[in-house]
Formats: sequence, C-alpha cells, structure tokens
Amino acid sequence: MIARIASLGRMGLDIVSSLGRSGRFLAGVLAGVPNPATGFPLLVKQLYAVGVLSLAIVVVSGLFIGMVLGLQGYTILSDYGSEAAIGQMIALTLVRELGPVVTALLFAGRAGSALTAEIGLMKATEQLSSMEMMGVDPLRRVIAPRLWAGFVAMPVLAVIFSVVGIWGGMLVGVDWLGVFEGSFWGNMQSSVDFVDDVMNGVIKSIVFGFVCAWIAVYQGYDCVPTSAGISSATTKTVVYSSLAVLGLDFVLTAVMFGNF
Amino acid sequence: MAQRTTEIIVGLFMIAGLAALLVLALQVSGLSPKAAESTYTLYADFNDTGGLTPRGRVSMAGVTVGTIESIALNKNTFQARVTMSIQSDIDTIPADSSAVIRTSGLLGEQYIDISIGGDMDSLQDGDTFYSTQSAMNLERLISNFASGR
Amino acid sequence: MDSSAYVSLKDVVFSRSGRRIFDGVSLEIPRGKITAIMGPSGTGKTTLLRLIGGQLRPDSGSIEVDGHQVPALRRKQLYALREKMGMLFQSGALFTDLSVFENVAFPLRVHTDLPEDMIRDIVLMKLEAVGLRGARKLMPSELSGGMTRRVALARSIALDPELIMYDEPFAGQDPIAMGVLVKLIRDLNRSMGLTSVLVSHDVPESLSICHYACIIADGKVIGAGTPDELRDHPSRQVQQFLQGQPDGPVPFHYPATDAAEDYGLMGGDS
Repeated sequence: MIARIASLGRMGLDIVSSLGRSGRFLAGVLAGVPNPATGFPLLVKQLYAVGVLSLAIVVVSGLFIGMVLGLQGYTILSDYGSEAAIGQMIALTLVRELGPVVTALLFAGRAGSALTAEIGLMKATEQLSSMEMMGVDPLRRVIAPRLWAGFVAMPVLAVIFSVVGIWGGMLVGVDWLGVFEGSFWGNMQSSVDFVDDVMNGVIKSIVFGFVCAWIAVYQGYDCVPTSAGISSATTKTVVYSSLAVLGLDFVLTAVMFGNF
Repeated sequence: MAQRTTEIIVGLFMIAGLAALLVLALQVSGLSPKAAESTYTLYADFNDTGGLTPRGRVSMAGVTVGTIESIALNKNTFQARVTMSIQSDIDTIPADSSAVIRTSGLLGEQYIDISIGGDMDSLQDGDTFYSTQSAMNLERLISNFASGR
Repeated sequence: MDSSAYVSLKDVVFSRSGRRIFDGVSLEIPRGKITAIMGPSGTGKTTLLRLIGGQLRPDSGSIEVDGHQVPALRRKQLYALREKMGMLFQSGALFTDLSVFENVAFPLRVHTDLPEDMIRDIVLMKLEAVGLRGARKLMPSELSGGMTRRVALARSIALDPELIMYDEPFAGQDPIAMGVLVKLIRDLNRSMGLTSVLVSHDVPESLSICHYACIIADGKVIGAGTPDELRDHPSRQVQQFLQGQPDGPVPFHYPATDAAEDYGLMGGDS
C-alpha cells in the first residue's frame, strides 16, 4: 500500500519535473535572437519538411472530410427541408473546429513523429553533442528552426484544409445532390464571420502548431538515446500531441465561442 | 535538393496558404474588401427580440444596409433596446419607417428589416424608430412544422 | 613533464543518477602532448571528456582548460572556449543530411565569415590531411566506419583547435583503419602542435602513440605516467589492465550471491 502511494508520488514528481524541463528547454530555444542570415535557410528547409511534405495528407483528408460533411449534412438537413443551410454547416464546422483540430492531429502523426525520430536519432548518434562541442548550440541550430516551422506551417495547412474541405462539400452538395449554388454560398457568407470564425480558427491552429511542434522537438531532445527510447518518444509525441490538441481545443472553444 | 528549389516550393506553399485565407475571407465569410465604412447609429425598442443577436444584419428591401451593434434591456420600459449602425450613405430613411424582426428562411437567423414609411424627414444619427414589430411567435409555426411535414 | 598543463582536473567528483562515477579524480594534460586516458569499459572515460568540454558539470572539484575554470564559465564564454576544442566522437557523429564536404565546412560556416572559395580551400586541405579529398561528394551513409572517423577528424580540426579529444578512436576498427588513425593522430599532434587527449581501452595502440597515460578505474586514477613508467607500475590493478588478465583485483564475476544459492543447490557440490 505504502509502495503504491510512493509510486504515485514518484509519478507525480516525474510529471512535474518533465514539465519543468520542457519549459526550460523552450526558454532555451526561444532565448536569443536568431541570426536571419543563417536562420532563414534553416527555417525554409524545415518548412519544406514539416509543411510542404504534410500538404498531400492534409489536402486528401480535407477533401474527404468535406465530402462526408456534405453527404451527412444533406441527409439530415433535407429532412427539415433546409438543405440550403448545408454550406453554412460545412463552412462553420470546418473553419471553427475540424480545420484546426484534424490538421493538428494529422500534423502530429505525419510531421511531429518524424521530428521526434529525427532529433532522437541525432541525439543517439551524438550529432547534437558534437554540435555542442563545436561551439554551436543545438537548441538554436537544430531545435529552433523546427519549432518555428511547426508554428508557421500549421495555420497554413489548416486554412488549406478548410478551403479544400469546403470545396469538397460543395462538390457533393451542389454538383451531386443539387443544392442551389447561390443559396449554398449565400447562407455560408451570411453566417460565417471573418474575425469571429475564420480568425479564431487560425488562432486555434497557431496554438496547436506551437504545442505540437514543442511536444515533438522536446520528446526528441529528451528521449533516451536508444532504439527503444526513440520509439517510445515517437509514440509519446503522437499521444501527447493529440491529447493536448483535443484538450486545448475545448478550452479555446469555450473562451472564443462560449458565452462566459 | 538544391536550396533554391526548396525555397521556391516553400514560397509556393506560403502563397497557397495566403490564397486559402483569402478564399475564406472573401468567398466563405463574404468579407468585402471595402474599407471600414462610416456609419451612424439608430435605436429601436422591441417588446420581444426573439433570437436576434448582435452582429446580425439590418436590411432594407432585402439589401443589407447595416449591422446590429448591441441588444440591451431598457429598465424603465422593460423593452429591449437594439442599437444598430447603418451605412452613412443610406441617409434617407423616412422618419416614420418601422423596424421589423424577421427570420430568413424557416430556421435561418433573425434580422431587422426596415419597412419604409412615407415621411419627408429622414432619421438622423441617434434617432429611435417610432414603430417596431417584434419577433413573430414561432411556437405556432413550429407545431405546424412538426405535424405538417 | 616539461611543458605546462593545458587541462588540469583537481578532485573532481561527479555522480549521475545516484551512482558515483568519479570520486576525486585529479590529472593533468600537458600542452602539446598526446595523453591517453585508459580504463575498463564503464568507468566514465567519455564522461571525463564531456566534463572537460563543459557539457556536464562536476558535483565538486575544479576543471581548468587553458586557464579557464570550465564549470564556472557562462554560456557564451563556454561556447567561445569550445571553438578552441575539437572532439572526435566514437560514432563520428557526422551530420547525416550533409555531404562530407559540407560536414567539414560546417564549423567554418558557423564560426567564420570566410568567403566561399576560402572555405573550399580549407576544407579540401583538411580532407587531404586525412586522405579523403576524393570522397568530398559522398554522403555519410556511403562511408565505411574508418572513413567516417577520418571525416569527423577533419571536421574537428577544421577550426585549427588547440585541444583535440578522441573518444575511443580505435574501437571497432580493422587493423588497417586503426593503423591509419594512429598515424593521423600522431601526425596531427606533431605538425599542428595539438594537445591531444585520447580515451581508449586499446592498450597497445594507445601506449604506442601517447607521451603520457593515465589509468582510471572505480572513479579514481590508479596509475599515471609515461608508457614506460606504467609498464613497470607496481599496482596489480594496473598490471591486470595493461596485460589483459581475465581475473585479478578486478574480479571476473560481477558481485553476486553465492552461486550454489542462486542455482538452488544449498550445500550441493557445483
């Protein structure tokens, strides 16, 4: 019994110390102004790796999710004879929720795990240590560009996801099921507000991008440099990122759209 | 891959993101690229505002001419006082016009429709509508809707 | 020792996750000489290099490199000091996403503002020194283990450091690659006047090139001196290590309970 309580206590201490380490790690990464001459090419390279390479999965998922929303929305709304509201439904769902959230989940699986594995392997093969010994701070050279790339890439991916999804919904709703195109767009435009809906969605995705990239690079940097350690760090990245995204989504939604 | 190619592709990626945001702004949220227009304020007192919400639209003959700024209870009359801002160039609303709460479509959002009066004078900034018509009672409508489908 | 010490450790105590790795280690690494630090596996020889490089901080004791107290240095000063150090990691630690040329050019690009053609000349010179000028376009994954280490060596001397630390340079190398590395370490020391620290458990190779050696075991320095002094060292533990005897002061068996008890043969004949 006492041993159980002790192990619970140790778990709590581990969690707190890991949070503390990740906070200090973040401070180390963000401290210091990056040199634009060397930093920019590194950022571009990482944007390519985490952003452009995630584009395909984001576009395909966005298309299908939009199409499913179109189909489901039509079946339900046509019961009430208001299938014209389908545009409004699809746009609000995507822009407010699914765009940022699903993109973040896909990002965690596609780019976050890759970041963790890459950094973990760099640690295991002593590349980070050797960089440190060359007088180069790996936090700034390796970690910072990856963190910023995630931060920048996520909102871009999320808006692309939303647009592709809306287009997919239109494909199903308008072209297949014959909802009048004018009312599709008209309903959408009258109910979607740029600041309250679109920008709030973008803010969400910026927060998610930051959190996902932070978790990914931290897990990679903090992992036990063995193959088992890297694999468990990669798993943790995906699990923690997904949980953080869903939890934060609720908090952000409550703050942005709830009436408190 | 050459640094240059990467840069171009990433550039295209960022442009795609901006274009998507533009689509969301113009096509999806119907934001018009017009600069913030100057407006003037009108008030209307309703017995019942129903589901009217701030940011809702104010229209004349179906054309949007302004937005609802706020809805508050007037403690003296126990009526709801709706503040709306109207585009400055629509400055010839007859003084005896009335504000009517209508619903767009069956389940759509509620908005204020201004029905035009015949007075020669027009409403000025800070004026209150003389006559209003509150939100229609939806209860009967819904019972019809539920049974008549 | 005729020359002054470049690195000196005094009473260094270091423990990690509750285990004491160094318990009062004192040693001096003379300037311009090759010093070998030897000891059985798991005695923290690599940790010692990391302490000198400032990647780890000792619990107590002083570590002085070129007159600077390493544990007391601020971040910026530490990074400035590291530019004067080179370290050759056991795995080579080449950046896998950069070619051989770019790997060697990396420290130059980061720490200097030299024009591109000058960087090219320096890199080719360094690669020539390790005999791999022809391999500059290869990626690290296309290199053999020995070549990886030679490229890493070229990279660690790119900035012409004053101190170079070799972490197990001979581990897992075939005799030819080992011979090449021994020759390189000796040549570099002679031609550039580098202070070299060599961490290894390959006794013959290390003793053949070093001017000065010290043996660490159980968190302490158990023997130090020139190779000849060590060969005649009175300590049985030193002799056991140098001659590779399987049993001696360092027991063959990891401390365990009585074997008979473990096998469940209480009192039986095993």
